Amino acid sequence: MQTQGQLIEAKQQFAERGLHSLVDAVKQGDRQAYQTLYQQYLGQVYALCYRLTADRALAEDVTQEVFIQLWRKLDNYRGDSKFSTWLHSVTSNVCVSYMRKQRGWWHRMFNLEDSAAMYESAEASAAEVDLDSYVRRLPQRARMVFVLHAIEGYRHEEIAQMLDMAVGSSKAQFHRAKQLLSEWMGYE
Amino acid sequence: MSNKEFEQQLQNALASLPNEIQPGRDLWPGIEHALNSQAAAPAVTSSKAKPYWGMAAAVATVGLLGWLGLTQLPGISDSAQLAQVLSQQHQQQKQALLASFSGQPALTDNWQQQVDELDAAALAIKQALKEDPNNPALLKMLQQVYQQQIDLIERVHAPAWQKI
Repeated sequence: MQTQGQLIEAKQQFAERGLHSLVDAVKQGDRQAYQTLYQQYLGQVYALCYRLTADRALAEDVTQEVFIQLWRKLDNYRGDSKFSTWLHSVTSNVCVSYMRKQRGWWHRMFNLEDSAAMYESAEASAAEVDLDSYVRRLPQRARMVFVLHAIEGYRHEEIAQMLDMAVGSSKAQFHRAKQLLSEWMGYE
Repeated sequence: MSNKEFEQQLQNALASLPNEIQPGRDLWPGIEHALNSQAAAPAVTSSKAKPYWGMAAAVATVGLLGWLGLTQLPGISDSAQLAQVLSQQHQQQKQALLASFSGQPALTDNWQQQVDELDAAALAIKQALKEDPNNPALLKMLQQVYQQQIDLIERVHAPAWQKI
């Protein structure tokens, strides 16, 4: 008699086999399979893009860009890691690159921070712990580091490389993000 | 309340974050359009030629800057005047590029707003150049803004996979 754990594992293996078939079909150029893959992972990709950009319209554009690039990049997926892990890595890189092209220059030149967003919604959200809404209020660099480290599990060394900053800066931005979150969540 | 409590609440909040968020609009038609264009691109000569507009613009702009930096042109005495020459050349390149993409749908809805924002940025830099006419850094910034605008117009009309 199978235990519940074995049943879950069998279910996961079945799902993983289905996913591999889907990925293989996409690699063969099956557009219908790609649309199925898109529908399956749209929510995850968009969630990551939205958390990184804090802007719905921009996140939608980046999500489209991810799936446009994924059509070609899928050949690079060898099945060594979980597909969702690989997809999150592709999404993070495309998103950071897209944001750099969109606004990076202004931020580098003038060191702009999204300070308006930090203060606009401070009163409204103090009563509840909606982490996503707090994360969206973080300044851009602090937000990106927080999302990549705390939510996506990247190491600071990896984040520093992705965001073209020193490892110490990544750690400092993470510390800053936590300080702001602590303040907004009523701990300071 | 203590830092330990905050860390605990933060961990709880992180653990309960939704794995998925759905966008507010249907993104598939745009993706499908891009993939169809991608598939059609090798057969369409004009589509292949369009990226060269940007390359030509970049080379010409950088060349102009280098040339202006190395020579003493009669009648061009400071950065503000160089900016004027640069602006004129950029406008010509931009119009040519827009004309080449005329009638072709863009991949994003707000690209014209972004173009306008870059125009506003260029204007601000030109104003700064009037105040500080011998500042080469401002001229370089202007050139970068113009290049960003060219890149933006290309990117939204000629999807990024062509550059991968």
